Amino acid sequence: MSGWNEHVTAALLGTERRDPPVLPEAPDGRGTDRAGRLLDQAALLTVARRAGRVPGPGALDLIAPAPAEDAPVVPPAAAARLARILRGEQVQVLPEWLDAAAARGLRVPARLLPDLLERGRGDRVLRPSIGRAAGRRGVWLALRNTDWAYLVGEGGDPGGGAEVWETGTRNQRAAHLTALRGTDPAAAREALRETWAKEPAPDRAAFLGTFRTGLSLDDEEFLESALEDRGKDVRQLAADLLARLPGSAYGERMAARARGCLTPRLRTVRGREQTWIMVEPPSAHDEELARDGVPFHPGGSFAPGGGGRPVGTRAAWLREILARTPLGTWTDLFGLPPMEIVCLPVAAAGAAEGRSGRDEQDGDARDVHIGWARAALKQHDAAWARALLKGGVMVDEPGALADLLAVLPAGERDAAAAGLIRWVEGRSELPPILERVPGPWTGDLAAAVVGTLTASAGRPTRRDEHALTQLCRLAEQRLDPSAAARLETLLTEQNRPADQTPAPRERAVPRAVTALVAALRFRDEMLKELAP
Amino acid sequence: MSSGRWDRGRVAALAPDAAAATAAGGVARPAKWSGAGCDAEAVWGECQGSGKSVYRSCADLAGPAFRCSCPSHKIPCKHVLGLLLLWSDGTVEAGARPGWVAEWLEQRRERAGRAQERKAGAPKARDPKTVERRERRVEDGLAELDQWLRDQVTHGLAQAEKAPYGLWDDAARRLVDAQAGALSGQVRALAAIPRQPGWPDRMLEEYALLRLLVLAYRRRGELPAGLRDTVRSRVGFTVAQDDVLRDGERVRDRWCATGSRDSVQDQLTTRRVWLRGRETGRPALVLSFAAPGASLDSSLAVGTEVDAELAFYPGAQPLRALVAERHGPAVEAVPGGTSVAGFLDEHAAALANDPWLERWPATLERVRLARGEGGALHVVDEAGDALPLRMADPWRLLAVSGGGPVAFAGEWTPDGLRPLAAWQADEGAVLL
Repeated sequence: MSGWNEHVTAALLGTERRDPPVLPEAPDGRGTDRAGRLLDQAALLTVARRAGRVPGPGALDLIAPAPAEDAPVVPPAAAARLARILRGEQVQVLPEWLDAAAARGLRVPARLLPDLLERGRGDRVLRPSIGRAAGRRGVWLALRNTDWAYLVGEGGDPGGGAEVWETGTRNQRAAHLTALRGTDPAAAREALRETWAKEPAPDRAAFLGTFRTGLSLDDEEFLESALEDRGKDVRQLAADLLARLPGSAYGERMAARARGCLTPRLRTVRGREQTWIMVEPPSAHDEELARDGVPFHPGGSFAPGGGGRPVGTRAAWLREILARTPLGTWTDLFGLPPMEIVCLPVAAAGAAEGRSGRDEQDGDARDVHIGWARAALKQHDAAWARALLKGGVMVDEPGALADLLAVLPAGERDAAAAGLIRWVEGRSELPPILERVPGPWTGDLAAAVVGTLTASAGRPTRRDEHALTQLCRLAEQRLDPSAAARLETLLTEQNRPADQTPAPRERAVPRAVTALVAALRFRDEMLKELAP
Repeated sequence: MSSGRWDRGRVAALAPDAAAATAAGGVARPAKWSGAGCDAEAVWGECQGSGKSVYRSCADLAGPAFRCSCPSHKIPCKHVLGLLLLWSDGTVEAGARPGWVAEWLEQRRERAGRAQERKAGAPKARDPKTVERRERRVEDGLAELDQWLRDQVTHGLAQAEKAPYGLWDDAARRLVDAQAGALSGQVRALAAIPRQPGWPDRMLEEYALLRLLVLAYRRRGELPAGLRDTVRSRVGFTVAQDDVLRDGERVRDRWCATGSRDSVQDQLTTRRVWLRGRETGRPALVLSFAAPGASLDSSLAVGTEVDAELAFYPGAQPLRALVAERHGPAVEAVPGGTSVAGFLDEHAAALANDPWLERWPATLERVRLARGEGGALHVVDEAGDALPLRMADPWRLLAVSGGGPVAFAGEWTPDGLRPLAAWQADEGAVLL
């Protein structure tokens, strides 16, 4: 049946200007006006058009099927919880959920992928976790939405093999190079050497960064030449990498400088004879030192040092030189294990015996210990890290000590961190220190954190309240969920109505602790749901 | 009576609004509750509110119905929801009912019993004069609408493009005065058409069908009974639920809920739940309504099937129905569907009975997604027949289908197919 368009035209213009078209199928329109006749015919056509609808146009592109998944989907309870998280409930646990699912070889259900990918769009930090848990369907979906394109190339496998190095984006090429460094560092170095001169400086820095994987003395020559690079970041990175490389010429150059600064001397102070470390910070800065990655104003040289003065450039050079000197230099020089070296007294070489001011002496010792702590971190030296953590030095630099925790073997970390926390108990530095201790906090560490929380929940000052809130926020994400039970007793103890027992403390438990317990319970249930 | 504890999703669906659902999460902590317990019919507990107040909350699971002594006007309030969440997690232990719970449940049962008796008693006789007066008013109102429609077409629809909202609003208001409520909403909604592409076609269609309804009502005496009922309900005459339960066509089948859509108009939320009979292949539509702050009926969950007897509202193409009797618990199920061609035949047959149909449920088997001209999404069945989709956010459907075949349910409208749900091997029913 045709004629619909004519009817629309006539209706648009109006029947006072245009006659309604003739429609033979329509019952005759006597007894009504022109407008009525047009409407009656249009009704007939409308129903006929709707009822006579045939399946739509042939020219369609079927959407290509997604590749089959290897990983099974998470259990329904876990999926339901992910949906709650994505709606904003306890959203800070999202990375943990994703990592836990990926670690158990599970993937996100397809129906939640759009919401998840949308989260990753606004939060870069989430992206690697999303990449690991989104399965192949995730990448398939991301390929269809430019907002989610970040997922392609995420998830460890850059894909595409060697041509990615020729054609990929900077991140894809860096990922490719990292993977190659893992299996064949020499091949990765040669691949980079071929294009090195043509790469822009930011790319050179990104690619040189991949040398952290599989770093060995074979890379030394390449890195030495990179010390002359035009790019400042590239030069700095090359120097930092060389400083991690045991047995390099770079390390030897630094050791020579360092030995000029620290010398052992047998002294008798207050009737006790022992080895002292005499400190003489470098007196001048030169081109060679700059080439080896120690700038004229190293980072932190303007920070407050001992005695209300800034650290100063000489002390900062000393710290940097020590940080870049192989730690073996000192065990050789003093003939002692790290633990004993750390405990040796320190004095300024220029100061007259027995007259050095207390402050100044502390300042020198601090410079030396900070330099060693940085070296232990860079060179990943567990023996030195242990010595510095346990030696009772650097008590006023808990932040630097916290960094050293990462160097310890996993089994020792909790106990050492717990010791550190008890050390700084009740001071405002605590949250920034804990910030540097990666989760999960278990065992001794968990006990120490719970102890700290309990203690500060009982102290009513405003300053404590602030620290407590910060602490709770960290603990929400890192504390072992099983600690919830211990914290819960804290809540019930204080929530007991006054008429039942004399309340131990009148003050209600701070909101932050209540929220912390809720978050821990949530994580506890979450991890159980994801367990196989 | 449903068996076992409800899952979190079912509890969450009771929340009257998002704020209540969020607040409930905060209340759902064992530390906040004392004396919480449950049995087969009810859940109860006392919640420590802010300050010194203690609220007594209770849920009758059979209704479900809720009561709480807190001042919130929401039903259920956050306390009841929180209590039910705890119960759903298994934190609430079975126990004996305290007095206040037993008392309330008793009162409820009594009230329900009295209501039953009232219903069973003589149906409210309608005053024939009132009925006649209303028929006359509607007739006058429709005559006025007919004149208005013809005026629009006489002067040309082109003016509608720039016409103010008032053009339709005035006509709609006159229909309210004429007690033709259903038509009034339809006329008011026409104001949105000139803002859509292809509006002249849509506008002519709507005007033509309205005129058809006016003519049908005018000649209602000559129409067969079914069509007359259809016309009356489209104009705005309602049929009481009791009448439907007593006189309506009864169909027992395993009814699968294939989709659900909520819409808000004039502060009233309407939920449309589409059902499809496993044996009969018949579609059915169950409507429920909720005022602001009240929760909608969530007894028919999409993706479940229940052995039940439906009572259909009268009409030439019976579609709207009430659940008269359930014969078993709801179980998860994938609905049986049709091909695209089969669906279009079904729709054409339905249109022949009720030309004013604006929505018809589609339940399609093994359809894949495809892009047409300009990237518009379509569903394509195994025979290669396609229907255009109409949706704002296609990503969930794309993610669930993964380009492979899925069972699919949607609402067919003159604009295209609006997706409601899809079924996938791993995840079962997914709402779209």
